[in-house]
Amino acid sequence: MAVRKAIRGLSPQELVNFRDAISQTKALRDERGYNYFAGIHSLPPPEHCQHGTLLFLPWHRAYLYFWELALQDQVPDVGIPYWDWTAEISHREGLPRAFTEERDENGADNPLFSTTVEWDASLADQVRQQLPGTIDEQGRTLRDPDPPDELPRKATLDSILDAPTFEDFSIRLENVHGDVHVWVGGAMSQVATAGYEPIFVAHHSTIDRLWYLWQMRHPGMSPPASIMQLALPPFPVTVAQTLNIQTLGYEYAVQISQ
Amino acid sequence: MAVQTEMRQGEKPGILLAELHFRPSELDISTFVRADLVFTGVDHSEMSYEVRAFLNNPAADEGTPRDLEEGYAGRFVVFGHGGCYGSVGHCDVPTERREPYDLRLPHPLTPQTKIITVTEALEYVIEEGEGELTSVTLVPISKDPLIENQGLTESLFKFDSVELRTYG
Repeated sequence: MAVRKAIRGLSPQELVNFRDAISQTKALRDERGYNYFAGIHSLPPPEHCQHGTLLFLPWHRAYLYFWELALQDQVPDVGIPYWDWTAEISHREGLPRAFTEERDENGADNPLFSTTVEWDASLADQVRQQLPGTIDEQGRTLRDPDPPDELPRKATLDSILDAPTFEDFSIRLENVHGDVHVWVGGAMSQVATAGYEPIFVAHHSTIDRLWYLWQMRHPGMSPPASIMQLALPPFPVTVAQTLNIQTLGYEYAVQISQ
Repeated sequence: MAVQTEMRQGEKPGILLAELHFRPSELDISTFVRADLVFTGVDHSEMSYEVRAFLNNPAADEGTPRDLEEGYAGRFVVFGHGGCYGSVGHCDVPTERREPYDLRLPHPLTPQTKIITVTEALEYVIEEGEGELTSVTLVPISKDPLIENQGLTESLFKFDSVELRTYG
């Protein structure tokens, strides 16, 4: 059972393990690799991510589940940590230091600092032309974050967690999700490139955790029956199979105030 | 209860003004617990952007403080796809009705529905302000990857309709 913890609450060894898993998958040039999973979101086509529909939460839960399994193939039991952007420290410092340090304590490249996309040259050139500021000339992802205090506040999330239906919850949470994407700026701010930004998985771990917390507050409240048996391509699971995180083999650690 | 409206240009290029009228009777206000601005057919094919909504403040723009006294009611963010990266036709959303046997998921660029919950701002207008809602100003701001390129946008915010929904 993987335990997803707050990124700022990881022990030094847990952070090393997470970085190792990211590094090792970045070295793989096949369907086990970081670039493969990052590319499932949007580029290169086909784009699979689901936004603006009731599949938003189930699809991204499936996405992180399979991505996390690929990380665990390299480092057993590693969990994708979540970035609590409502925490006081986030509103003071912005992005967690685990992601902003260019090098780790041993002087090695920090795999959470950026990702080098592995696209053909024409696609990379097109992205640089259409979306300047997302990747640099070497194909590395870039950021341009807003002031830390512009991040969503806990009161906003508390209100959303009171949403009485899955539909209402999903639409309102997706709006906050988009808010954080554009707050980070750079690659993270556009659907086309967001999957490659290392903070992406930690952001979506937060979104998934919030759905889990909403489920705990509203037992028995499920997505509409009309979507429960829909598949979530390219993943071999249905919406119904995403509803219980225990059956997916992970859980969220209780948060400690920071 | 739902109130729909037509849009017209605001005072600056890109800013839109909706003449949305809502004047609750005493009976209404006692049962009015939530109010949403609901936008349908919102385009998300290009760069990301946000839309800020101001009630009864036709002069609002990108520099207007986001507080109740200025009519600020909330915002929504469109996480944009950032343009098209396929061959010709790849990003054209099919308009014809799907056959019942067509199990494909909707086109990724199918326009979306966005909601801004404006309960607090509407209550403020009714109880502390003019006593009724007369207009909603929509201020679209591009969320370019680089902050230095962000600002009012005339082109990104495309949508079909906006209405005010109140719930008792």
